[in-house]
Amino acid sequence: MNKIQVNRWKDQLFKIWGIGCTLVGLILLVLFIGDILIDGIMRIDWGFVMNLPSRKAEKSGIYTALMGSLWILALTTIIAFPIGVAAAIYLEEYAKKGRFSALLEINISNLAGVPSIIYGLLGLEVFVRILNLGASVLAGSLTLSLLILPIIIVATRESIKAVPSTIRDASYALGASKWQTIWNQILPASSGGILTGVILSLSRAVGETAPLIVVGALAYVPFAPSNPMEEFSVLPIQIFNWISRPQHGFIENAAAAIIILLLVTFMMNAVAVYYRNKWQKKWN
Amino acid sequence: MELVAEKNTKNFTMNKESEQESKTKISIKNARVWYGDFEAVKGISMDIKPNSVTAFIGPSGCGKSTFLRLFNRMNDYIDGFRMEGKIKIDGTNIYNKKIHVEELRKEVGMVFQKPNPFPKSIYENVAYGLKIQGISDKKVLDSRVEKALRQADLWEEVKDDLKKSALALSGGQQQRLCIARTLAVEPSIILMDEPTSALDPISTAKIENLIFGLKEKYTIIIVTHNMQQASRISDYTAFFYIGELVEYSKTKTLFTKPEKKRTENYITGRFG
Amino acid sequence: MENANHQKELLNQAGLEMMSLCISQLEKATEAYLNNDVDLAEEVIYTEAHVNALDIYIEKNCERYMALYTPVATDLRFVIAILKINIDLERIGDHAYGISKYVVEDETKTPEHLIKVLQFEKMHATIRDMFEDIMDAFENENVKSARKVFKKDKILDAINSEAFSVIEAEIKKDTGIIGKALQLSSIIKKYERVGDLIKNIAEEIIFYKKAELIKHKGNKK
Repeated sequence: MNKIQVNRWKDQLFKIWGIGCTLVGLILLVLFIGDILIDGIMRIDWGFVMNLPSRKAEKSGIYTALMGSLWILALTTIIAFPIGVAAAIYLEEYAKKGRFSALLEINISNLAGVPSIIYGLLGLEVFVRILNLGASVLAGSLTLSLLILPIIIVATRESIKAVPSTIRDASYALGASKWQTIWNQILPASSGGILTGVILSLSRAVGETAPLIVVGALAYVPFAPSNPMEEFSVLPIQIFNWISRPQHGFIENAAAAIIILLLVTFMMNAVAVYYRNKWQKKWN
Repeated sequence: MELVAEKNTKNFTMNKESEQESKTKISIKNARVWYGDFEAVKGISMDIKPNSVTAFIGPSGCGKSTFLRLFNRMNDYIDGFRMEGKIKIDGTNIYNKKIHVEELRKEVGMVFQKPNPFPKSIYENVAYGLKIQGISDKKVLDSRVEKALRQADLWEEVKDDLKKSALALSGGQQQRLCIARTLAVEPSIILMDEPTSALDPISTAKIENLIFGLKEKYTIIIVTHNMQQASRISDYTAFFYIGELVEYSKTKTLFTKPEKKRTENYITGRFG
Repeated sequence: MENANHQKELLNQAGLEMMSLCISQLEKATEAYLNNDVDLAEEVIYTEAHVNALDIYIEKNCERYMALYTPVATDLRFVIAILKINIDLERIGDHAYGISKYVVEDETKTPEHLIKVLQFEKMHATIRDMFEDIMDAFENENVKSARKVFKKDKILDAINSEAFSVIEAEIKKDTGIIGKALQLSSIIKKYERVGDLIKNIAEEIIFYKKAELIKHKGNKK
């Protein structure tokens, strides 16, 4: 009897502690967002989104940075998605399980944990200098692609692994080749998981600053890039730049830009969650 | 008159039967299988007759499923799998290097323990095997899908919801769908690995009826843990024990007068 | 499985009980006939109800065993054998009952010489012998003992086939014994049938143990 009561009491205690921990995170987030909203919400209007950067805070807009971010996003997706998924398929379906694949696996997991600035340095050397791409959108995208590849690979492998082996067996037993099985059964069945992983990794890429600064993204670009070889800026760099200015108007601008950046990442996360739910439903 | 006619047909079927007995669909010579160091199948030789149902029985881990999966080479992808010996289907060694596994599997279909429809529509499930062969003519697909579903005794139940997800069907229907999917490819051999172990008695009875009907056109090999199922539906029964074939004979003999003591003990439930 | 074995053992016990009961019924009926013991005959008639009850008990339990444990191979042959042996034994019981009825209905003693010329004593001894064999065959699952009864049954057949002409001759000598002679003739016929039933039981035991049907094999030759 006593023992049961002690256990219940422990249970309650842990529950309260858990609620506390959750609240800490939540409250901080709410405070932060609230603060940003108070500072910046009034600044957001169509002009703020469409204006080019300017020396005067009131006239400045985020158009070039937003376009830069979208360019980066699009190119990174185009580069990282097929490579990441293909690598994952190879590792999961084709590679013989052995020491070599185990080594690859550990390295990929480790790569996911390498600080982003290191990727920036790699990008600077390989893409900007050796391949002579300059401080272009393409160089930035390639660098970010490297950054998110491990995440995409891990996420894709996980969702391929989650496809029941019975589906594989059924497909093989009907005379399907490996490729037919992957293309017709495994990829469709794991697409939800793969998309979730890709979107989450992209929303991380959108927020990255350090590697892009190293690669050479500029704080001030007069025009939105019109092709992959042009110079560019992205939202986080714009925000960083504005915050470092002394004038109060730029602080407001930064807050407003943060709201826009948050909106973009939240939207991407929402899409990811939607796909994940849809995918889970399919199997249950 | 009628009596005479009946007599004639009887004679005919008897001839057919004796003809069948001399034929062999699958011939296995000294098959051995290893998974790494573990010897799962220890040198089995047997001949399987065409247009008959052969049941594989034996306690769990006796190698009967592994043995069954040799016939459509489903063990090939398993790590550490190694095999020796010869398996001939219609006289062709299926482990010959020149044999395309994909072609073999069109000839040797398989139905699994748990119903495993693809998370697609009923129609897509049945048409899958045909589509991967490159058949895309809608008319051909439609007619083969209908034929297969009819053969699997599922057509009447699903003909109005072919577009519905296969996962919405009941377990028994799903398993019949899996049989239809296999039949659509028009194999000559169907392997069944405990096809009713996850089903209720009524669904089981339906599948058993189905197997009985399919015997006419196909050679069926079924692994089962249900002794009565083996005795009900099979013509021949093979009893496996720890990777060895202990006894293989006509079902009616094996279940009434087994030759080996071990077989007798197993079928009467004296060891499991 | 233990339960199934237990049920099988219960059936076996009931079969044994039925066998010893029917054997003792026939023994008592014969004794009552030879000694003109009406009381003993009454006892046999009274005990017939017990035989019938046991018969029903065995039949029901065989059915139950088959339905619940779906026996195959040796188990299946066992229950089939028990079922058939039970029927045979019940018939032997019926014959004992019939003989006892004669004793009760007709209290006069059968003339000694009639019994002698018809070799009834020899018949009785042979049946007793066969009972011993079949009891051993059943109890110890002894196929050798079961096989012994076929030869002995031939003795019964021979006596039975002679009986008709012997009785005819006796009646011609002394018409006063007609009633008694006919009675004894019918008892001899019953004995001959009991012999056949024991033979059947032996066949069942051999079928159970060896899975071979020996029934009707002789006819084909």
